[in-house]
Amino acid sequence: MSALLQVRALSKLFPAGGGRRLRAVDGVSLELEAGETLALVGESGSGKSTVARCLVRLVEPSGGEVTLDGQSILSLPPKALARQYRRIQMVFQDPNASLNPRMRVREVLEEPLRLHLDLAPPARADRACELIERVGLGVVHLDRYPHELSGGQRQRVGIARAIAVSPDIVILDEPTSSLDVSVRGQILDLLLDLQQRLGLAYLFISHDLQVVRHVADRVAVMYLGVIVEQGPTERVFAEPRHPYTRALLSATPMARWGIARTRLRLVGEITSPIDPPDACRLVGRCPLAQPSCAARRPELIDLGDRHAVACPIATQSPHPGAPLRAANERIPTC
Amino acid sequence: MRAAAVSDALLEIENYSGAFRNEDGGLVPVLHQVSYRLKTGKITAVVGETGSGKSLTALSVLGIQPPTFVRSSGRILFRSVDLLTLDARGLRAIRGSEISMVFQDARAALNPVFTVGRQLADVHRLHHGGSQRAAMKRAVEALSRVSIPEPERRARQYPHEYSGGMAQRAMIAMAALICQPSLLILDEPTTGLDVTIQSDIMELIVELTRSRGLTTCLITHDLGVVAETCDEVVVMNAGRVVETGSAEAIFTRPADPYTQRLLSASQMLEAA
Amino acid sequence: MSSDEVMAPPSLPTSQAQVHARPRRRRWRTTWSLRIGLAALVFYVAVALLSLVWTPYDPLVPGIGDGYDAPSLAFPLGTDRLGSDMLSRLMMGARYDLGIALTAVAIALTIGSALGVVAGYFGGAFDTIAMRAVEIFQAFPGLLFAMLVVQAVGAGIVNVILVLSFVGIPDYLRLARAEIQAKRNWQYAEAARLAGNPRWRVAFRHLLPNSVGPLLAFTSINAAFAALVTASLGFLGLGLSPNTPEWGNMIARGQDGVMTGQWWVSFFPGLAILGLTGSLYLLGDALADLADPRRRR
Repeated sequence: MSALLQVRALSKLFPAGGGRRLRAVDGVSLELEAGETLALVGESGSGKSTVARCLVRLVEPSGGEVTLDGQSILSLPPKALARQYRRIQMVFQDPNASLNPRMRVREVLEEPLRLHLDLAPPARADRACELIERVGLGVVHLDRYPHELSGGQRQRVGIARAIAVSPDIVILDEPTSSLDVSVRGQILDLLLDLQQRLGLAYLFISHDLQVVRHVADRVAVMYLGVIVEQGPTERVFAEPRHPYTRALLSATPMARWGIARTRLRLVGEITSPIDPPDACRLVGRCPLAQPSCAARRPELIDLGDRHAVACPIATQSPHPGAPLRAANERIPTC
Repeated sequence: MRAAAVSDALLEIENYSGAFRNEDGGLVPVLHQVSYRLKTGKITAVVGETGSGKSLTALSVLGIQPPTFVRSSGRILFRSVDLLTLDARGLRAIRGSEISMVFQDARAALNPVFTVGRQLADVHRLHHGGSQRAAMKRAVEALSRVSIPEPERRARQYPHEYSGGMAQRAMIAMAALICQPSLLILDEPTTGLDVTIQSDIMELIVELTRSRGLTTCLITHDLGVVAETCDEVVVMNAGRVVETGSAEAIFTRPADPYTQRLLSASQMLEAA
Repeated sequence: MSSDEVMAPPSLPTSQAQVHARPRRRRWRTTWSLRIGLAALVFYVAVALLSLVWTPYDPLVPGIGDGYDAPSLAFPLGTDRLGSDMLSRLMMGARYDLGIALTAVAIALTIGSALGVVAGYFGGAFDTIAMRAVEIFQAFPGLLFAMLVVQAVGAGIVNVILVLSFVGIPDYLRLARAEIQAKRNWQYAEAARLAGNPRWRVAFRHLLPNSVGPLLAFTSINAAFAALVTASLGFLGLGLSPNTPEWGNMIARGQDGVMTGQWWVSFFPGLAILGLTGSLYLLGDALADLADPRRRR
């Protein structure tokens, strides 16, 4: 059984001056199957967006392997790569920046049709109408410029552009983070609806755990270029094991009255991603840290049910809650 | 002081209305009869989405609204003094020493060519006088108070050496501790910061408010932040105040349809 | 740092503040620069076109007047030493000075921005070599360079145009490169890649059209410079053949008259050059203001 999209040991290094290198992505492995949603979650600097860009080679990876239906993407020459964009598409974070200000919506939607599909102009126009309605806008919007649309409408156009050529995979790079709360829900509903109808597989890049819980089948949590935990969404939310996942979950605010949180705090210096030592990336901030954590980088440990955690200490403890809180009390807070 | 006895509100905004003058000289109304009160010693959240006028109202309190904004009516009473009638000098006397503000992008608000410690010390001397050395000592104390590790070393660093969360702590130190205001306004102080950092900053804000008896106004679009930290909530939409009330009331019994929609949109994403 | 600065950072957080931040006086000035510059340019073009079909006298025929006739009803701008009508010659000169400047600028704009787009988008060795070449080239003053080259390859209208466009290329290259580099990683450029565009199409069809503002603003300034150099070459006898009614030539021809009181022979061509370059500068200034991203929506 081979996944639709397979990523193995992907890495991306950026030169950081003085011969040093910033490890934005460091050995990330993922699988995405047809029709499922995998969320890649992390905070700024975790490398999640770099992973997304590496998969479609907007950023050239430094190492690793990416295969789409068993065929390597990284070795493709430019023309063959452009053909693969029929199968893998992307929705960008900022709908203001991802639409060319000088192109009408119609041109935005017809461009991929013209370049990828051999359609006669009338068929293209029909397809553009179909697309714009499918994302919940009207034919009148086809002749508008991006600045004449609201943020939510622009993002709908971005989504229509991505599904125009009927791809198998859509990479969603923080598709809702620049939108207002009330619009956010509508866009997520649209994405779920499209997934059901078109059988799309989503790689959902986000920093927002609430959004992820709403849409994803599986979650992979990234910290400083490394996946620290991955598993089925409900499993990860119900039984987070890695200290970073737990800190992230416990820090997420809830718009409800009277919910008391027990926060797991990360206190201390953040490891620099520039030539980091061969150690756990969380070691400077981790309440569970042991001397062994600084000695070498922990591998993902399989806990069954596709749940894996890159922390030997958290996976050893039978009751993950208890020792954590005790460890936490040692740390002086504010 | 006289007013504080009469009213429990430190700041009262009454029927504040206004418009933007556009390029052709026409007026585009943006605020409609905005009224709310900031109760002394409480944390009040002003919640709204893009274009609700929440930031514009707050900027007006300090008299730093954009020059194309034209007020058509209303009063902003701080200790019973209408801030809108004050001249530039009167406003300066209040800005910083009585009311101070923290903005979203802390690193942009810090001057890149001076060390953070120097900037805090300068503001301290401006408000309280004293020697450079004493002011620097206070600056280091303030940085330490907002949990910046190694405050002596950090005070000698420049803003670009600070992370976003660290810079926001420094700005809060300046606004709340160095200026020693009675009213602290925070405009989206945690937007753009990671959630782990965001929680720490919000805890710091709550803790400083309680321990120093501040009156705090938190302008935000994020209801999640509000539920855990604020006492009172003002909901704004399209330039109007649609609902005000205690945080508990707003979250458990929202009366206005817009508040209900906003709340359910925020909660829809929580499976909790 | 004063407390006011602390409380009010340079950029107000409301987007409206940025849109409206532009002072009204500046806008007023821009509008008038644009109107005056444009009107003057249209006038020059109209005169040049008119000269193709009508001039008061044949500009190339000497002896229409007696020579050094003062301005009069018959000869509104007088005649030159050989008795040719100044007004007719001036009208025909607009063809040369305007034509040379505009052609040279068009060539420089096309080649320079194409090279700039390639350097800015693809980077690499080409970018490095292009930028070093530009730096070396720009160490020479443009006029001096033009003089040396025209001297070497010989005068003539084609050579003058080629030299002027060559002098302009580095500026366009730099401008286009900077614009493209700033936008290369914008999301719409990435989106265009994913839509299936080859890289060159992303650069030329998506990025370049969004960068034309500053480039066009500069063409106006550049055209003024080109007109000035054309006239200078003419004045120094390095440009077109001496009898051509090019304004620089005409000034040179009238030099002797200035000493003996026949001021009009040099004065009017000088005024024509001043008017042309001045209006182009005004226009360029206004266009640069309009191309300012803070003003764009």
